[in-house]
Amino acid sequence: MTVDWIAFLTVFIAALTGTVVVVTLYAVGVRLLVTAGRVPVALPAEFTDAITVLSKSEIKQAAKRAAKAAKKNPLTQGQKNLARAGAYACFGLCAVAVLAGIYLIVPFFHG
Amino acid sequence: MDATFIVILVIALALFFDFTNGFHDTANAMATPIATGAMKPKVAVTLAAILNLVGAFLSTEVSKTISHGIIREGGDGGVSITPELIFAGLLGAIIWNMLTWLLGLPSSSSHALFGGLIGAAIVGIGFTAIDSGQLLSKVILPAVLAPLTAGLIAFLATRIVYAITRRYDGKPDGRPGFRYGQIFTSSLVALAHGTNDAQKTMGVITLTLVAVGAQSADHTEPQFWVILVCALAIALGTYVGGWRIIATLGTGLTEVKPAQGFAAETSTAATILASSHLGFALSTTQVASGSVIGSGLGRRGSKVKWGTAGRIALGWLMTLPAAGIVGGLAAWVAHNFGTVGLIIDAIVGFGAVLFIYLWSRRSKTDFVEAAVADVAESAFAVDIPEEIEPKPIPARIEARLEAQAEAKAEAKAEAKAEAKAEAKAEAKAEARAEAQAQVAADADAQTDSTEGDKR
Repeated sequence: MTVDWIAFLTVFIAALTGTVVVVTLYAVGVRLLVTAGRVPVALPAEFTDAITVLSKSEIKQAAKRAAKAAKKNPLTQGQKNLARAGAYACFGLCAVAVLAGIYLIVPFFHG
Repeated sequence: MDATFIVILVIALALFFDFTNGFHDTANAMATPIATGAMKPKVAVTLAAILNLVGAFLSTEVSKTISHGIIREGGDGGVSITPELIFAGLLGAIIWNMLTWLLGLPSSSSHALFGGLIGAAIVGIGFTAIDSGQLLSKVILPAVLAPLTAGLIAFLATRIVYAITRRYDGKPDGRPGFRYGQIFTSSLVALAHGTNDAQKTMGVITLTLVAVGAQSADHTEPQFWVILVCALAIALGTYVGGWRIIATLGTGLTEVKPAQGFAAETSTAATILASSHLGFALSTTQVASGSVIGSGLGRRGSKVKWGTAGRIALGWLMTLPAAGIVGGLAAWVAHNFGTVGLIIDAIVGFGAVLFIYLWSRRSKTDFVEAAVADVAESAFAVDIPEEIEPKPIPARIEARLEAQAEAKAEAKAEAKAEAKAEAKAEAKAEARAEAQAQVAADADAQTDSTEGDKR
């Protein structure tokens, strides 16, 4: 009775690598988007990660607050554009990483 | 009884199992994006169904594990599993599944399936029917290791996400943006679910076909029509199961937050996809639960509630042997009473399913909550305080923030000083202009002395 321990290690390393790459790229993308003054809103700024279903007026308020924060942005327009381009690049790379992962595991693509 | 009839019966039962599996697991993938409002319920459920369908076509490794690995079919050792025993095993799995579902116990449809099949094979043939090495390395060890793996990875991922998006200056950190990421990660979970769970049914059907000699034991790849019907069954189940999520909305479904949910879902999808590729038949529910607990622990100030966590773990441990006993019982009846036993099994089984279904209609709300509870409940195994003290600012960043504030104050002071100086200069210039005007007026009179004095 043999147990293929290497296989477990492979799963762990593959899953870890995939997750860390995807999560890091997306988080950096979000961070750059915020730096560029484009804060994704939908939730009040104080409770930025609470799960709540908000009314329309609340979302409006949050958007206003985010716009105000964006106005105070110390970056120049060029720096903002650069940050935004970086954010989109991160999201793009993240998508590519996911597709590459799927490509790797589908036998159909490997004959 | 006619062998063809039994095969058709087994296939129908397997597809029913596949359907309930999809029905049961829609919530795992789609509950969070619906709860956070990232996707409309109908869109989310449809997407999950389509991705399950696609996922079922992506890989056949898990199917081969079941049809070729754990249970020895005819051929080599002379031991052969019969369609009757597979029927009994499936019945055990379905009954146990629906029972735990009704009682709100954490369970896993995959382990119920293995338990039922193994129990039936042991009762019908004996321990020689089971390849214990394969069982250990492809089912039991993955069952223990996969949730731990997913949990550990989710823990690290959550730490990374929060560290990267953390802001110390109190400005918006953009974490609501993870809701949009969740659309994609939960889609990946749905896809991964198709690659692992739909395979299990394919494996069972293929095992049946091999057992009756309709398919060679050397080629245990599922045939195309098997892949197709299994994919359709799980997709249909996923779609129909969507109403339950919609019904649970607004009942405090989950405490998972977007950034955390994003990390947990990525870990779940990655773990399942990697495992499917290597043929590990694992429980998607358990992996998802492991991720949710791991990501909860990745947040600051969180503590494990051992009572809840223990209850979940106990449910997991019980599933395999309990379904095994039900499957074994059904196999014993079928084995000892022949055709009559099989009919008894079928009647008792369908009766039980019908009873559970009718019971569930009677107490609809409780049933809904119990059904969605599996993954959501694991979120309650971690205690996260509502009010978390702000993280102490690291010295490096504090210095930078201070420098920024200082620079701001300095700039302000400078601007003030400048404005003052300007006002002074203006006043001076005005005075001078006035004086000049005076000089011009007195142009013909005495010269130079006044102007010189001013200078």
